[in-house]
Amino acid sequence: MHRLSTFLIGILLVFLTSWVGVVAYSSSRLGHLDPIADADTGGSLPPNLQGDAIAGQRVYAAEGCIACHSQQVRQTSVTGTDIARGWGVRPSVARDYLRDSTAFLGSVRLGQDLSNVGVRLPDAKWHYRHLYHPGSVCEGSIMPSFSHLFEVRKIQGQRSDQALDLTGVDAPKAGCEVVPTAEAKNLVAYLLSLRHDYPLPEAPVKKAAGAK
Amino acid sequence: MSNTTYFHHHDPESEGAKASCIDASVRTPVLLLFGNALHWLLIASVLALIASIKLVAPGFLGNVSFLGYGRLSAMARDLFLYGWASQAAIAAGIWLMARFCHRTLGGVLLRTLINSAVVLWNLSVLLGTLAILAGYSTGVEWLEYPNWASAMLFLSFLMIGIWVVCLFDRRAGIESGGRAEPALWYLVAGFCCFPWVYGTANLLLTWKPLQASAQGAVQGWFCNGFVILWLLPIAFGCLYGLLPRLSGRHLNRQNLAPLGFWLLLLFGGWAGLARLIGGPIPAWMTSAGVVAGVLLLIPILIVMMNLSGLRRRGEKENIAWQFLSAGLSFVLAAGVLEALTALPGISAFARFTWVTASVDLLWLFGAVSFPLFGVIYLSLPALLGRECWSTSLSGLHYWLTFSGLCFLTVILILDGLFAGLALLDPVVSFLNITSYSQPFHVLEAAARLLLVAAAVIVASNFTRAVAAKRLFPKK
Repeated sequence: MHRLSTFLIGILLVFLTSWVGVVAYSSSRLGHLDPIADADTGGSLPPNLQGDAIAGQRVYAAEGCIACHSQQVRQTSVTGTDIARGWGVRPSVARDYLRDSTAFLGSVRLGQDLSNVGVRLPDAKWHYRHLYHPGSVCEGSIMPSFSHLFEVRKIQGQRSDQALDLTGVDAPKAGCEVVPTAEAKNLVAYLLSLRHDYPLPEAPVKKAAGAK
Repeated sequence: MSNTTYFHHHDPESEGAKASCIDASVRTPVLLLFGNALHWLLIASVLALIASIKLVAPGFLGNVSFLGYGRLSAMARDLFLYGWASQAAIAAGIWLMARFCHRTLGGVLLRTLINSAVVLWNLSVLLGTLAILAGYSTGVEWLEYPNWASAMLFLSFLMIGIWVVCLFDRRAGIESGGRAEPALWYLVAGFCCFPWVYGTANLLLTWKPLQASAQGAVQGWFCNGFVILWLLPIAFGCLYGLLPRLSGRHLNRQNLAPLGFWLLLLFGGWAGLARLIGGPIPAWMTSAGVVAGVLLLIPILIVMMNLSGLRRRGEKENIAWQFLSAGLSFVLAAGVLEALTALPGISAFARFTWVTASVDLLWLFGAVSFPLFGVIYLSLPALLGRECWSTSLSGLHYWLTFSGLCFLTVILILDGLFAGLALLDPVVSFLNITSYSQPFHVLEAAARLLLVAAAVIVASNFTRAVAAKRLFPKK
């Protein structure tokens, strides 16, 4: 460790072990996975994302949902908790993230795991009310309100069929309604698209899934 | 007390530039970097405090879009990583490399380049933070800045880093075959690893993102690599360089130091995969991460063997010494906690809870920030050529930071263990666990308040020290 050149070569070589093992391996192998044909529907697995769900990923990133929510069901060899809690029917695998622009794996679970939220909570209306005021549908929730993704407006003619059914403190003034903005719609479309419940060759779904 | 004296026994005047000339040559960039870093630290601490209050009272500060918990916590962390820790590490690197190599920062062009890089760095941090605030976050943890802001940071680092690394070959005594001391290895390694780690991760995750199925492993690799391959080597450079000089003694078992150095770089790259135990990456990767996470204890123990004996002879009343010495203890604590949480049995319940956050906190705030604080306290009198710190404020800063960090770590670990063990039982509902965690969240906010107070004190102490030039004329 006398001259810079020899020293740098040493550092480079040591650095390269993890660089090749982790980064290059990931991008060359995991970065070129293909979807699997779905024999039942003629589609592909994981399913394609609709345009609004793709746009919803940007809202998910912008609001920093990843600060509290993970999107991964862990391998049962490590823990059965994730599946026992009903967060999924099988562990998540790399191919599940194929359609995403960013893998929102997350590192903290201040809120529940969202990898199968589209299966667990398939009702868009529920999501709108939850985002508008989480405490109104989940008492004791510490999730912040995302009411800025909604618009309070005067009812013009007939009440919009998208208006939220709000009661109590959340109810808008008489003659007004609360409707989701495009961002809220995209975010909910994305949440509803989240599912890792289809069988893949590397992650079959067992019939007695969930039992432990 | 002149801090320049600490360097004299390694700093024969015949062997290169005098300490005061060196200090004068790097004064502007180092002061700018340290000053900005301390103020970003203050803002980061305040944002982290607001975020933790929002966990207790989600309606705090109303429902303003840009003050949501998700944006606040991302801004706080990135300000801490790039505004404070990385910036202070660059400053410490410049000053210590110049001092240990006995070389001045020469040439008008080079000085202008480095000063502009400092401005560019802070501009990127500012714009990146505002972009998160405005909803342009990438959504990748630790890399939330939009791609143009991270590109600016990267460029700015290169403008400084290349000069710092090249100093290694220009150091005094190299012609006569003098070997470089361990502090120099660590500083150079850190400055080499930043562009590799940060550049690779940004390239593959934000600039030209990989297919998402491959992103998980790269994310884990980056988070740990950023701490263990970039920030920690700089902290070790500070400790290896300053503890022997301040105590006037040599390293213990110096022959082990190279082994510790190479093993740190080797295992540091792999250990990040343990963050994904059970996750959607191949099983061999997480196994490698677990092994590396545990074996990382070897280089940590070697560092402890080299340095901890020196602490007995230290100057207890010297604030810089206190920070460096505490930093060394936090290195051990963080290393042990990292090894423990890398074990699959513990990860099974501790992962996704605040236990994980406490490991990062111990690395970033304890093992990295404490030595950096030490360098700040040591360098400023030398750079300004006069005593400048308010002793009472410095002491208060040390105790507030130390107690705030220890308190916060303990709370996070307890909260995490409690929530993690409760999560194991599916009968206990998630909302129940959340409500049990609330008292911990209150205590967490209290601990963060201590850290905000500490950040206010050190930032004002620094500003006062630099601005007081007219009150305490140069002797």
